[in-house]
Amino acid sequence: MRPANDTSHFPAGFERGPASSRSGPVRRTLALLWCVLFAVSTLSAEQPKPSEYQVEAVYLLNFAKFVEWPSKAAPPEGPFNICVLGQYPFGAALDKTIAGESIDGRKVVVQRISKPQEAISCRILFISLSEESRLAEILKTLDKASILTVSNVPKFSQRGGMIQFVVEANKIRFEVNLTSAERAGLTLSSELLKVATAVTRSSQPGD
Amino acid sequence: MPNVGHNSITTKLTRMNMLVSAAALLIACAAFVAYDLITFRESMAHNLAIQAQIAGSNSVSALLFNDPRSAENTLSALQAAPNIISAAIYTPDGATFAAYSRYASVQITRILPFIPAQQGDAYWFKDGQLEVIHAIVFRGKRTGTVYILSDLRELTRRLKRYAGIAAIVLLASLLAALPVGSIFQRAVAQPIVHLAETARIVSRDKNYALRATPTGNRDEPDILIGAFNEMLEQIQERDGALRNAHDELEQRVQERTAQLAATNKELEAFSYSVSHDLRAPLRSIDGFSLALLEDYADRLADEGKDHLQRIRAATQRMGMLIDDLLNLSRMTRAEIRKEVVNLSALAQSVVAGLREAQPERQIEFRIEDHLQAKADPRLVQVILENLFGNACKFTSKRASACVEFGKLRHNGRFAYFVRDNGAGFDSAYATRLFGAFQRLHAASEFPGTGIGLATVQRIVHRHGGEIWAEGTVEKGATFYFTL
Amino acid sequence: MEDTKVILLVEDNPDDEALTLRALNKNNIKNDVVVARDGAEALDYLFGSGKYAGRDTALMPQVVLLDLKLPKIEGLEVLRRVRADERTKLLPVVILTSSNEDQDRIAGYGLGANSYVRKPVDFSQFLDAARHLGLYWLVLNEAPPVRRS
Repeated sequence: MRPANDTSHFPAGFERGPASSRSGPVRRTLALLWCVLFAVSTLSAEQPKPSEYQVEAVYLLNFAKFVEWPSKAAPPEGPFNICVLGQYPFGAALDKTIAGESIDGRKVVVQRISKPQEAISCRILFISLSEESRLAEILKTLDKASILTVSNVPKFSQRGGMIQFVVEANKIRFEVNLTSAERAGLTLSSELLKVATAVTRSSQPGD
Repeated sequence: MPNVGHNSITTKLTRMNMLVSAAALLIACAAFVAYDLITFRESMAHNLAIQAQIAGSNSVSALLFNDPRSAENTLSALQAAPNIISAAIYTPDGATFAAYSRYASVQITRILPFIPAQQGDAYWFKDGQLEVIHAIVFRGKRTGTVYILSDLRELTRRLKRYAGIAAIVLLASLLAALPVGSIFQRAVAQPIVHLAETARIVSRDKNYALRATPTGNRDEPDILIGAFNEMLEQIQERDGALRNAHDELEQRVQERTAQLAATNKELEAFSYSVSHDLRAPLRSIDGFSLALLEDYADRLADEGKDHLQRIRAATQRMGMLIDDLLNLSRMTRAEIRKEVVNLSALAQSVVAGLREAQPERQIEFRIEDHLQAKADPRLVQVILENLFGNACKFTSKRASACVEFGKLRHNGRFAYFVRDNGAGFDSAYATRLFGAFQRLHAASEFPGTGIGLATVQRIVHRHGGEIWAEGTVEKGATFYFTL
Repeated sequence: MEDTKVILLVEDNPDDEALTLRALNKNNIKNDVVVARDGAEALDYLFGSGKYAGRDTALMPQVVLLDLKLPKIEGLEVLRRVRADERTKLLPVVILTSSNEDQDRIAGYGLGANSYVRKPVDFSQFLDAARHLGLYWLVLNEAPPVRRS
């Protein structure tokens, strides 16, 4: 039986390059070309095995199922916005994931934003790696806003983010900063916390 | 009770009682147990499904966030249920996500069957185990499948417990059946046994005075006993009646005999008086008629004399009749003393007497020798006197009269015959021969009263024999008789 | 005077008496005939009692002709008494009767009758019988000696 999600191939692909040493510079060029091509191909959207961002896209949607936003957060009508701040890393994955989905009767919609101020109507905000340098500022802006902040920026939860993606044993896991979530008025289901690798209660955002 | 033993109705009743009780109990127990086990199975499956459901809903996030360990944790909680052998959670496409096994040896190799979307659970009892599959549905989406495998130890334990209870109850009821059986025996069997014994004794000893004691229960055995006693009563009555009838009959026979004896005595007295009193006037008539004839012969015309002669003749004839009648009566009444009689000799003496009475007659008598019979000699003499006398009488007109007396075979018996070659008689009137006073010839032709043959017939019949005659007019007559 | 032989006739029927006397007469039996009409009279005569009291009982009849059916005292009873008495024990008695019954004959002979003669209906036969009787008893027969006491 084939397991449902196996991401073990992703990093290994880089490691398992051709290692022949018989030819000269032509061969080296070819090898390099092949590696680049391979890297490109692995970086492209259509992958036979799910990539990191594919998984994270699914998780983003799933988070919505285990989080309760305060009733005053957003108008009951209107779409459920999952926003991505910064460089859009998901490719077609996130769109594919949320296609046809709805949370609590609201159609899920992806929005790309470039500024944290645009995240007013967002429920879930994914902060891309590209915004790492501006993280403190973003978090400050979003402080107390009922937006679930998710990112794979290292030390995200330490720094006040609510959910941080981590890779553990070749699997995408996440850490939860419960304090941040509570500050934002969000209730995270114990079910979610159960599967988190770490649930922390940290101090102020911006650390 | 002889020779009954195992077959006694008491044994039968007890056995039957116990069998019925046992059967009823077993059927009841079986029904209850069966029903219970069926419902228990369902509840087992239901419980297991609930556990699967709980496990499933606790594993949703694990499935969604690909955390098999969390799912394994959830499954391991099933350790608390000792009947659960193994459990597993599968992803929607059937891959094993997490597994739990109570015993290290047990492996999960099952390929899950498809559960249609609308059905949440399914269960199977297979190979002494219970399998439950539960579809994990989270927010309307199929998230995974829970599979739990359980053994049937609870069922088995329950079954064993029931079996034990049933056995105890059965035993107890069988033990209880014994005293009940003895009550039955007293109420039902005992009267019948008693009746059988009584009947046997009555039949063996022919003592119809015995009675069986009724039980007073007013049931069929009691009715039987009542009827039995009535029958004995009737038998006794009938016996008594029979005896009475017999006694009565005896008495009546005695009375009849006495009556007959009395009648006979009367007859004798009658004959006696007749023989005196009837004859006396006849004597007077005849005597004085003769006196008239003698003394007044000169004063009587011929006609007158003729009258007187007729008077005398009639009177004398009457005297003969009386004598013959008296004889006949005496023959009927007389005792028969049978002894061996030499008929030939007797015949000879009768012939001698006849010759002496009528010496002028020349009659040839042919008498067969060595004739013997068992009869009363006096009465046989009367027979021969009559028959020979008749033969002589009716051959009086023959020049050479011949009378034969002998024996011949007739119908396997010996018959004696007296044959003459005299006037004979018309066979047409043969039946009238033996009637009293019946004559086939006029008195003027051949004298006689017509009593002789009647007398002979009486005597022959009293000896238990038969008499008959054959005759041809003018050719002769033969008289046959048996003794 | 020579004792004439007397015949005692015991007979109740007057016809029979007349006929018997006639028969005796016809047969020239000239003896005196004493007629007793019943048993008692017969005994009276024989024993000299009653009507015949004073008769010389030494003079017994030559023969007694005794009928059986008699009034007062039956013939057989007369015979018995006759035979019981010394004086008449040996007296010849001829039973003259119409009965031919065995029992009468047995009784008669048993009681000591000397003879038993049947009275026939036919009178001529009776005449014969009377002649024979007379001839025998009165002429031929030796009577027992008369006891003179």
